[in-house]
Amino acid sequence: MAASSEEVLLVVKKVRQKKQDGTLYLMAERIAWGPEGKDRFTVSHLYADIRCQKISPDGKAKIQLQLVLHTGESTTFHFANENSALRDRDAAKDLLQQLLPKFKKKANKELEEKNRMLQEDPVLFQLYKDLVVSQVISAEEFWANRLSMNSVNHSTSNNKQEVGISAAFLADIRPQTDGCNGLRYNLTSDIIESIFRTYPAVKQKYAENVPHNLTEKEFWTRFFQSHYFHRDRISTGLQDLFSECAKQDEKGLKSMVGQGVKNPLVDLQSLEDKALDEVNLAGTDTIPLYKTRVFGYGTAATPSTSNSNRTVKENSNSAIIKRFNHHSAMVLAAGLRKQDPLNDQASETSSTDGNSRDSDLFQPPIKKVKLQEAIEYEDLQQEDGLKTVSLNLKKSDRYSHGPVPIQTQHYTTSQDIINSVILVQHEMANYKPCLTQVMSSTMASSAIVALSPGGVLMQAGTQQAINRGYLSLSLHPKMVPSEVQSELKHLYTAAGELLRHFWSCFPVNTPFLEEKVVKMRSNLERFQLTKLHPFQEKVQRQYFSTNLTGHLEEMLQTAYNKFHAWQTRRMMRKT
Amino acid sequence: MASEDEVSLLVVVVDVNPIWWGQQAQREPEFTLSKCLDSVMVMGNSHLVMNRTNKLAIIASHCQESHFLYPSKHWKAGDAAGDDAVSSSRDGKYEVLAVTNDQISEEVRNLMARTEVKGHQTDTLLAGSLAKALCSGQEMKSRILVIKAAEDCALQYMNFMNVIFAAQKNSIVIDACVLATDSGLLQQACDITGGLYLKIPQKSALAQYLLWVFLPDANQRSQLVLPPPVHVDYRAACFCHRNLIEIGYVCSVCLSIFCNFSPICTTCETAFKIPLPQMVKPKKKKLKPAT
Repeated sequence: MAASSEEVLLVVKKVRQKKQDGTLYLMAERIAWGPEGKDRFTVSHLYADIRCQKISPDGKAKIQLQLVLHTGESTTFHFANENSALRDRDAAKDLLQQLLPKFKKKANKELEEKNRMLQEDPVLFQLYKDLVVSQVISAEEFWANRLSMNSVNHSTSNNKQEVGISAAFLADIRPQTDGCNGLRYNLTSDIIESIFRTYPAVKQKYAENVPHNLTEKEFWTRFFQSHYFHRDRISTGLQDLFSECAKQDEKGLKSMVGQGVKNPLVDLQSLEDKALDEVNLAGTDTIPLYKTRVFGYGTAATPSTSNSNRTVKENSNSAIIKRFNHHSAMVLAAGLRKQDPLNDQASETSSTDGNSRDSDLFQPPIKKVKLQEAIEYEDLQQEDGLKTVSLNLKKSDRYSHGPVPIQTQHYTTSQDIINSVILVQHEMANYKPCLTQVMSSTMASSAIVALSPGGVLMQAGTQQAINRGYLSLSLHPKMVPSEVQSELKHLYTAAGELLRHFWSCFPVNTPFLEEKVVKMRSNLERFQLTKLHPFQEKVQRQYFSTNLTGHLEEMLQTAYNKFHAWQTRRMMRKT
Repeated sequence: MASEDEVSLLVVVVDVNPIWWGQQAQREPEFTLSKCLDSVMVMGNSHLVMNRTNKLAIIASHCQESHFLYPSKHWKAGDAAGDDAVSSSRDGKYEVLAVTNDQISEEVRNLMARTEVKGHQTDTLLAGSLAKALCSGQEMKSRILVIKAAEDCALQYMNFMNVIFAAQKNSIVIDACVLATDSGLLQQACDITGGLYLKIPQKSALAQYLLWVFLPDANQRSQLVLPPPVHVDYRAACFCHRNLIEIGYVCSVCLSIFCNFSPICTTCETAFKIPLPQMVKPKKKKLKPAT
């Protein structure tokens, strides 16, 4: 049965599985089902193995819950209790909904990691295809070194910036007319996410109602139809799904206003916006912020000038302004919510208390910082001056010539110099360009011959490059097509990877390394047979006789020689 | 074809070291400085004719100065000696080319005339000329062609490298056409900026090499079959012996290169600690108190 240490979270009786009655148990790490009367579980799944859960639609007679595993199998449970089947099923579903996400991430992470790495790096992917898929080496060997290398990188990339919410996201959902007096709203998942992040009340409503009472489509239709979404939010008291949301919003706004602004140097009270005909009953006394009605910051309206004096138009205007403010505040709050959980706690003590400004003893730290910033300038302060060591060059003349080897200087006597200069001056004194006789045609044609392909100046490059195995120079684009080039590059990458594994085994100290060396040698041989030889033959058949794979074969041969030497030494040691 | 508005500047830096050219005149009288300048002029004219918006600049790199042969500051129309002016414009040439050629020849005559012989200044001021060339090509797409005659001057190394990196930063291509001895500095310059380096086997055919290899600009070169790049020897020479080395020691303070390790850098006198292998200290046995 269940291990004694397992905590049972939920027990549901009268659950049928494969036409057998039984009981469903939800534990801390797994879900299990046992037939009635028996002591053991016939079905048990770890939450980590479950990919997702599905429930039968509401209209159906059978109330079922299906679990789909990562492997593709699925198990279906049929809740057969006449009275409480639906409730049972929903309870199980809710619990699973909470538990599954916790376990989901752990199992998949490795596979996801591997997939991600393969997708991000095409060279790695090619290497994987060349080596593992063609069974030159096994997958564990391939991943053995890489996963540890890249897990460090991954942790740093987690600090990606979160995408913020555009303040205009609601306005961007421009409805299109449906043709017959209706409106089509196009909702993308981005917009839905923005709505949920900005208005957690709506998110809650969604979680409560979908998919029991309403489908997603219905939910959003109701949302857009409701007065909550409408411009003039006059609470008509209709039994609307969202009237609660409206009340929550008002409460939220009030509390936000009550918190006030955390910057003590910003005095919102000084911003007053009085209409000409309004009597300033309060005079110039400052009113504590929490007593002001929530119709806009800093108005001098006292509680006595209530709704009755205001016209309908004023009411709706102030309602719109209120909604704008609330919307902007919610968008900002949603953006800051994840980033600043720590900052909030630090500064909470300072400004929520409305009387804090009166007491001099309790100076909010933020105010100090702000005042300090305003008073002091960094570059006017005393220079701390890092103690630096000055460069003390004894032989600075070395820099004048730099790392250049001595070149043999031709010694010229001063007489030579004088003679040469006079000669040139003489020559150039009567210089007149004679552009029709710059060179003879024989000279020109010999120059052209030297510059044509195969000429003196053109050959050195290709031969030199082929001898050294430089790909980019020797593979003149007209001579070797790019597919052959890229295949050769893949061969080099694959060979390099195998050789790296091989050479890292030396010196062979442990029995594990011995096995690995032997295995790598056979891998290299297999690679040579399956990949290198066919490529070489193809190239020789189709294109030309130059040896493109000479260097690769040389590297492999060196590895074989090393292995042979090591093996003979080992034999000698044994005998 | 390139767009009509793009201005493309070619700066030709000609090495007119009078000592070298004087000696050259004695070695090979058929190829002298005049012939070289003629070839350069042919190429300059061709460049101007290739496209209406092309521009040309020619700098003469001398031992005493770097002087702009074209465009010249002093030339005024009608100032030239009467006969010459008439003859150059008489042959019906495109006016721009006639003016260009006249300016160049006038400037070169003046430059050579004012040469003073000084024993210690025998090296071509190539780094300075390149720097001037870089400055002149700031507002437009430009490239530099260096026609080198005399040998490298090692003393200009630092300036030279700075000029090369500045050219690379500004995407200015440096090509080199070398007449006599190979120049390691120019090989590096061409390699770093993506230009062409060519040492020509026959000096007399200079014009042909210039027109074939160096006239097309960088965009067109990918479609032509041109001499392949040369293998550049990037090995540095150690500061102590000036031998070329492949593996060496670099002082982390003054960046001077040495072939052997020494505990004190001879250039900046910084002392370096050698990491010794861990010495196992013998454990001290506790002395038992004598009773």
